[in-house]
Amino acid sequence: MIGTIAVSTGSLLVLVGLWSALTNRDIIRMIVGFTIFDVGIHLIMISVGYISGGTAPIISNLSDIGVSYVDPVPQALVLTAIVIGLGITAFMLTYAVNMYEKKGTLEIDKFEELKW
Amino acid sequence: MVEPIYLIVIALGAAFLLGLLRKTGSALQIALTLAALAGMVFISAQWAYGIIKGTTQAAEIFTSGMNPPLSINLFMGRSEAVLLLLVNSAAFLSTMYLGREHKKTSVYMLMLLLVFVVGLNGIILTRDLFNLFVFIEIVSIASAGLIALRSDIRQLGAGFKFIIAGALASGFMLIGIIFTYYATGSLNIDVITGMMSPALASAGYIGLFLVFIGIMIELKPFPVNGWGIDAYQASIPPVSALVAAGTATAMFYAFTKITAMTGGIFLNASMYIGALTFVGMNVVALKQTAARRLLGYSSISQVGLLVLVFSLVKIFGIAGGELIVFGLLVSHALAKAVLFWLSGIIGKESINDWGIIRKRNILIVAFAVAVGALLALPPFPSFFAKWELITSLAVKGQYGWIAVILGGALLEAVYLMRWFGNAVKDSFNEEDNLDFRFGTLVPVITGTAALLALGYFSANLSVFENNINWLLPAVVIVLLLLDFLPAIVKNILLIAAIAWYGYPLLQAIEGYRSIFAAIFVIGAVITLLPGFMNKGRRPGFYPAVSMMFAGLVGIIEATDMLTFFFFWELMTLGSYFLILRGKKSKPHALSYMLFSLGGAYLLMTGFSMSFAEAGGTSIALDILKTVSGSSLSGIITILLAVGFMTKTASAGLHIWLPGAHAEAEGDVSPMVSGILLKAGVFGLLMTFIALGDQSIGKINIPYVLSWIGVITALTANYMAAMQEDAKRLLAYSSIAQMGYALFGISLMSHLGWLSALSLAIVHFTYKVILFLSVAGVVHRVKTRNMYQMGGLITRMPVTFFMVLVSIIALSGIPPLAGFSGRWLTYNAVIEKGWLLQGVVAGVSGLIAFLYLFRLIFAIFLGQLKDVHRRVKEAPFWILLPQILLILLVLYLSFFPGAFLRPIGDIVSEFHPEGALVWNGATAVSEFGYWNGEAVMWVFIALFAANFALLFFLNRGAQKIKQFNIVYAAERPARPETTHFAYNMFAPYRKALGFLEYPITTKFWSGVADLMHSIAGFTRRIYTGNGQTYLLQIIVFVVISFLLSNGGK
Repeated sequence: MIGTIAVSTGSLLVLVGLWSALTNRDIIRMIVGFTIFDVGIHLIMISVGYISGGTAPIISNLSDIGVSYVDPVPQALVLTAIVIGLGITAFMLTYAVNMYEKKGTLEIDKFEELKW
Repeated sequence: MVEPIYLIVIALGAAFLLGLLRKTGSALQIALTLAALAGMVFISAQWAYGIIKGTTQAAEIFTSGMNPPLSINLFMGRSEAVLLLLVNSAAFLSTMYLGREHKKTSVYMLMLLLVFVVGLNGIILTRDLFNLFVFIEIVSIASAGLIALRSDIRQLGAGFKFIIAGALASGFMLIGIIFTYYATGSLNIDVITGMMSPALASAGYIGLFLVFIGIMIELKPFPVNGWGIDAYQASIPPVSALVAAGTATAMFYAFTKITAMTGGIFLNASMYIGALTFVGMNVVALKQTAARRLLGYSSISQVGLLVLVFSLVKIFGIAGGELIVFGLLVSHALAKAVLFWLSGIIGKESINDWGIIRKRNILIVAFAVAVGALLALPPFPSFFAKWELITSLAVKGQYGWIAVILGGALLEAVYLMRWFGNAVKDSFNEEDNLDFRFGTLVPVITGTAALLALGYFSANLSVFENNINWLLPAVVIVLLLLDFLPAIVKNILLIAAIAWYGYPLLQAIEGYRSIFAAIFVIGAVITLLPGFMNKGRRPGFYPAVSMMFAGLVGIIEATDMLTFFFFWELMTLGSYFLILRGKKSKPHALSYMLFSLGGAYLLMTGFSMSFAEAGGTSIALDILKTVSGSSLSGIITILLAVGFMTKTASAGLHIWLPGAHAEAEGDVSPMVSGILLKAGVFGLLMTFIALGDQSIGKINIPYVLSWIGVITALTANYMAAMQEDAKRLLAYSSIAQMGYALFGISLMSHLGWLSALSLAIVHFTYKVILFLSVAGVVHRVKTRNMYQMGGLITRMPVTFFMVLVSIIALSGIPPLAGFSGRWLTYNAVIEKGWLLQGVVAGVSGLIAFLYLFRLIFAIFLGQLKDVHRRVKEAPFWILLPQILLILLVLYLSFFPGAFLRPIGDIVSEFHPEGALVWNGATAVSEFGYWNGEAVMWVFIALFAANFALLFFLNRGAQKIKQFNIVYAAERPARPETTHFAYNMFAPYRKALGFLEYPITTKFWSGVADLMHSIAGFTRRIYTGNGQTYLLQIIVFVVISFLLSNGGK
C-alpha cells in the first residue's frame, strides 16, 4: 500500500516537474521543475526496494537477524542520486546567476544566440 | 603491468593535488596535469599493446574487497584498452593545446578536465549499470563546466541547454536503471546479460527501454540534438575536440554495452535512429557556414553512422564487425579532434574565412588528412572499414543500407570538400594571425600522423588479402616531406622515380593493361617535363601529381578489387588536388570530386555485388568473370560502367570536365585530359572484358552505351566549336573523344575495341600536344580567349606546326594516325550494323572540323595583334614534350601497323573473330583495306607538289601589311565584336543553338538546389530555445517507445 502510494506520488512528481520545466520561461522556475522531477525519481527508486512491513536494512545486534527489512540497494542508489541531483541543481543555479549577470534577464528564450 | 584502477586514482589524485597548488604558477599546474594524463596514456597503451600482442590477459578489477554482483567491477579488455588509449591521448593533447588558455581561467579548469577524463575512463571500464550512470553524470557536469570556460553569453546559453538536456536524459536513465534492477535483481551488466531472455525482456521492457533511450539521447540523435550542437560550437576548440574524440567514443561504447545487456532487443531502433542521424545531420550541414557548428553536425552524423553500422553488424551477424566499427570510430575521433584543433589555430568563425590556413602548409596537409579520413578515402582506417562494411552488407543482400550509407557519405563529401576548396582557394587578410605555436601544433601533427600510420596497419588487419603496393603511396609521403626543395629537384626526383619503377613494369606487364601502363608511365614522364620551367618551390604540386600517377600505376597493377579501389580513389584524390591548383578552378574541382566520389561509390557497390554473387570469399578482380552468368550481372555491369563513365565524362556526367580541365594549370591540363581520362577507358574495358555483352530484360547495355557514346561525341564537338576559350575548346574535345572511345567499346567486336584502344593511344599524343601548345601560347599572350590572339604563326612557328599536325591527327583524316581509329570505327559499325549511331558519329566528326579550324585559325592565322608583336616562341620545356610526341604521332602515322598489330593481338584474346589481316603494311578488313605507309607517301608527294606550285605562283605577290586596313570613320566600341574569331560560328549557333541548352547542368544544379532548400528548411528545428529542445527530447522518447513497442 505504502509502496503503491510512493510510486504514484513519485510518478506524479516526475510529471509535475517535467511540466513546470517545459512551461515556465523563467530559468529559476525551470530549475525548480527539475528539482521536483528529481525528487519524483528518488521516490520511485525508494519504493522499488520497499517491502511491506520491512524495517531499515541495518543490523545492529543479533536479534535483528531474520527480521524482514527493505532492499538496501535502492537506498544506497538513492543516496548517490540525491548527491548527484544536488550537484546538478547547484550547477544549474550557478549558470542562472552567471546568465543573469551577463544579460540581466532569466527568460530562457532570450538565450538563443546559437541556432540553426 | 599497472593496474587499471590507477587510471582513476591518478586523475583524481592529480585533481586534488591541483587544489592544493592553487597559488603556485600555472606552469607547475599544467605540468602536473600533463604528467597525470601522460601516466594514463602510458597505462592504457601498456594494456592495449599487451592484449593485442597476446602477452597480457584481459583483466577484471574488483573494488571494495568483494566480488560482483555485490561490488562494482571494472573490465579491461581489448576494446577497452584501445578506446582508453584513444580517449586519454586526446585528453593529453587537448590539455597541451590549452596551454595559454589555462592562464586566462584558473586551476579549476584543469581540475574539471581531469574529472572529465575520469568520467570517460569510468564509462569505458565499468561493468555496473548504476556506476555507468554515475560516470555519465560526472562527464556531463564536468563538460557543462568546460563548455562555459570563458563565461561569454553564447557559452552560458549553450552550457545551460546542455545541462538541462543532460538532466532529462539521465532522469530517464535513472528510472530505467531502477526498473531494470526491479526486474532482474542486479545492477551488474554481465549478470543481467547472462539472465536476459525474451520473457525478462518483455517483463522489464520499460526499464530496459529507458536505459537504452537515455544512452541514445546522450549520443545526440537527429533531430533532438540542438543542445549538443550548441555545445560543440560554443566550447573552446580543445574542449570541443575532447568532446568529439572522448565523449562520443565513451558514450558509443556505453551504448554497445547496453545493447549487449538488453540482448539486442533495441537493435532495430538503434539502426533506424543511427541512419536518421547520419543522413539527417549531413543534410542540414549543407547550409551551415559556421566552422565549429559544422564540425558539430559532422561529429554527430559520424556517431550516427557508428550506431547504424554497429546495429547492422549485430543484426546481420557480420564477421569482423568489431574491426569495421573500430576503423570508423578511430578515424572519426582522430580526424574530428584534428579539425577542432585546427579551428582553434585558424580562429575564424566562418568556413569562408579559412583561406588563412595557407599561411602554414602543414596545416593544409593536416586539414586534407582529416577530411580524407572522414570521407573514408585511402589510406585511412575508415577506408578499409568501409570496404569491409559494404562488401559484408552485399553478402547479406542489404543493398538498401548500402545506398543509405554511401548516399549519406556523398552528402558529407559535399560540405567537407567545399570547405576544403574554400580554404585552399579563398583570399585572406595577411595581417591576421594564426594561433600557431608548439602547443597547438603538436596535437595536430600527432593526430595527422596517427591517421596515416593507422591506415597502414588497418590494411594488414583487413580480413581481405590485398596486394597494395605501399611503395607507391610512400613516394607521395616522401615528396610531401621534401616539399621544401626547389621544384626542379623534385621534378628530377619524381621523373627518376617513375622511370625507375615504370621501366621494369612496362616490360613485365602484358595484355591490354600494357597499353594503359605505357600511356600512364610514358605520359607521366613527358608531361612532367614542362615542370622544369618552375624556378620556385611550387609547393604542393609534387605530392598531388605523384598521388595521381601512383593511383594510375596502382590500378594497372591491381589484381584484387580492394587494391584497385584503393588506387582508384588515390588517383581521384591526387587529380582533385592538382585541378584545385588552377586559379579559378574551385567550383570545378568540387564538382569533379563529387562526381568522382559518386562514381567510386557505384564501383564499390558493383564490386561488392560481384563479390557477394561469387560466393563472398575472393575479392580477386578475376571473379568479375565468374559472375557474368549470374542474375545480377546486368546490374553489376551498369554499376561499373556508369562508375567508370563518370571518369570519362560521358554525356550527363560530364559537367565537371570543361571547367576542371580548362582552369587547371598549363601543364596539368595535358595530364588530366591526355592521361587521366584513359583510366576510365581502362575501367570500361576491364568491365566488358570480364562481364561481356550483358542485357537487362530486353535492353542491351552496350547498345545503350553506344548511343550515349555518339551523343556525347556529337554534343561535345558542337560545344567545342562554340567556345571562345582555347582550353575549354580542348576540354570539350576530350569529352567528345571519350565518347568515341565509349562507342568503340560498346561495339563489342574486334574492330570496335581496336578502334577504342588505338584512340586511347593517339588521343593521348595529340591532346597532350594541343594542351601544351595552348599552354605555351597562353604563357606568352596571357589570355585564353582566342579572339584576343591571331597571327601568331609568325611569332610561334614551332607551336603552329605542332597544332597543325595534331589537329590533322585529331580530325581523323588521312594521312595521320587519327585516321586509323576512324577507319576502324566505320568498319566496325558496318560489321555490327549499328548504322544510325555510325551516322551520328560521322556527323559529329564533321562538326569537329569546325572547332579544329577555329583553334588554328583564331590563334595562328589572320592579323597579328599589336600587343603581340614582340611575343616569343613557347619556352623550351613546353616545346620539348610536344616535339617528342609529334615524332611519335608521325611514326604511328607512317607505320600504323606498329601499334595496330600488337593491339590487335591483344584484342584477339577477347574477340578473335573479325581481326584485321595484315598484308605487309596493308591492313585488310572484311570491307576494305588501308595502307598507312602508302597513303603517307602519296600525301607527302601531293603536298610537296602543291606547296611548290603555290610558292612558284606567289613569287611576285605583294605582302599586305596589317595597317593597310582602315576603319570607315569610326572605331568600334567593342573591337572584339568585329573580330572574325569572336562568336565565329554564329550562323551555326542560330541553327543549332538548342544543343547548347544546358540541360545537364540545369538538372544537376536543380538537384543541388533541392538538397540545399531541404537543409535550410530542416535546420529550423534548431530554434536555439532550450525549452523547445527539452520538448523535442520528450517527444522523441515517446515516439521511439511507441514505435519500438509497436514493433513487438
